[in-house]
Amino acid sequence: MEAFCLDLSPRVLLAEDDHELRELLALVLEGAGYQVVQCDNGLQLLGHLERTDDVAAVISDLRMPGLGGLEVLARHRHRSRQCPFICMTAFGDELTHNRARQLGAAEVINKPFDLDEMIALVERVCLRNQETSGVKQ
Amino acid sequence: MRLTIKITLAVMFGIVLIFSVYSYQSIEREREQIKRNLSREARHIGESLRVIVVELWHQRGQEASMAFLDRANQGYSDTLVRWVWIEEGLPEAVQPRVPLSHLERLAQEETVTLMAASAEGQDYLLTYLPVFTPTGRIGAIELSESMEEMHDYVQESLRRSALVIGASVVSGLLMMAALGSIWVGRPMRQLRAQAERIGTGDFSAGVNLSGSDEFAELSGTIERMREQLVQAREAEQEATAAKIEALEKLRHSERLATLGQLSAGMAHELGTPLNVIAGRAKLMGREGISPADIARSATIIHEQAERMTGIMRQLLSFARRGEARKQPVEVHLIMRGVLPLLEPTLHKQQVQLRLEEAQEGLVVCADAAQLQQVLLNLLLNAIQAMPDGGSMTLAGYPAPRAKPPEDLADSDQRWVCLQVTDQGTGMAPEVLRHIFDPFFTTKDVGQGTGLGLSIAYGIVQEHGGWIDVESEPGKGSSFSVYLPLHVGGRQS
Repeated sequence: MEAFCLDLSPRVLLAEDDHELRELLALVLEGAGYQVVQCDNGLQLLGHLERTDDVAAVISDLRMPGLGGLEVLARHRHRSRQCPFICMTAFGDELTHNRARQLGAAEVINKPFDLDEMIALVERVCLRNQETSGVKQ
Repeated sequence: MRLTIKITLAVMFGIVLIFSVYSYQSIEREREQIKRNLSREARHIGESLRVIVVELWHQRGQEASMAFLDRANQGYSDTLVRWVWIEEGLPEAVQPRVPLSHLERLAQEETVTLMAASAEGQDYLLTYLPVFTPTGRIGAIELSESMEEMHDYVQESLRRSALVIGASVVSGLLMMAALGSIWVGRPMRQLRAQAERIGTGDFSAGVNLSGSDEFAELSGTIERMREQLVQAREAEQEATAAKIEALEKLRHSERLATLGQLSAGMAHELGTPLNVIAGRAKLMGREGISPADIARSATIIHEQAERMTGIMRQLLSFARRGEARKQPVEVHLIMRGVLPLLEPTLHKQQVQLRLEEAQEGLVVCADAAQLQQVLLNLLLNAIQAMPDGGSMTLAGYPAPRAKPPEDLADSDQRWVCLQVTDQGTGMAPEVLRHIFDPFFTTKDVGQGTGLGLSIAYGIVQEHGGWIDVESEPGKGSSFSVYLPLHVGGRQS
């Protein structure tokens, strides 16, 4: 089925345990032309990452029940298929930012953030990813 | 009053003694005087009689002089006049009433006066005047006078003396009782009442006795003592108030420090709904949004704002400096109270908290906010002891076998235990010894004040309890807060 899918809109994995924020982000991202897959915890996100090929970007909260964003990053960084991670956090301290970046996060954004800023970030990250993929190919 | 009675009795005894001696001597003197008077009188009469008897004897013979004596005898009512021969072996009628050996001086022509008692026990004053008869025999005129009258007089004197002494004693006692009550009893009662009032801690009323006697001096001394005590108490109260205020300030700053530790978690709790609100508001401002979407966004904004308000209220109620108020409160409610504040930090630090809630009806008399401060301190310490996450337990249960420290030992007291157990780094014995010391900390600069556990201990002590610690490096620590079980009161 996926092979025949002609939907060319880029796919974004969104992991956030707060239902309202997740729904809002999905709404805005879909409005901006992205296809959004929603997860409410880290384990679910990891499953989607393993199953899904064409992920343009991952937006993940750092603090989630069960598996947090940082753990997902740590487990995913050694996979062959790389996709850019945007991490959201309310503990906006330097330590958390550095830790996320060390684990390979493309961007770390502090809550609360502007929705337009998030869209711009996703676009920028996707573009950068396409460029690096293009260079590799 | 007992002292007054003692003094009165001593004085009375002295007075009675002096009076008695004086009376006795007076009566004795009077008796001697009376005796002397009687004796002189008898001698005068006797001498007059003797002149006549001797004269009669010479002129008319023995018969006439004897007849004269008989007649003379009838002339004296109190005195009996008789002729006696100073010779042995004569009939009783002409024999002296006393043995002749007492009358030897008659031979030297001396008059003899002496006292004698009759067979009936009556006293007589006897006066013998010698008469040398022409025949050469020695006779004597005997005047005997009964002493009954004098005895009666002495008796009367004795009765009067006794009456005077008795009256003096009675009036003296009455006077001493009245004056003793006024001068000693009343001020004594006032001073005693004042001393008792001061003894019970009532310094409100002063006592002021007028005059310049010892009681007035003592009342002045007591008054000065009372004023000094009042000053001392005021100073002590001020010091205590200052101490309480300082302690309260310290506790409040520690509470704020705890809040700082919780703030990272709280930032997330507030950041997420804030994000939703900002986003929804922006959505509503966009063009081409349907009224239904606007309504939905408005509802969500309202809900998120409510959520944030709730969080703010929790924070404020914890941070607010409140009066320490102890009241019966359910242990499980205290335990539940700390969870909302702690939840974000638990999440952030990847720590699982297992809650073994106390059964309902387990009540302690406590200031719930202060006890939550204690639990938060212990729980945050436990979280910090597990930097890589882990699990810890908060348990509440009755602890009938708890062994209190010696100063709290009360066999009837039953205890409740609130226990925080972690699987953290644990503590070495040398650290364990100091954990309740103020400003002792193993954390980095800026990470802890070193006051948390010492303040927690102070709070628990104020609630009549204590904290026990068990710890093993590498295995974890267990803090047990023991509090007196509240029995019989109504739960709050």
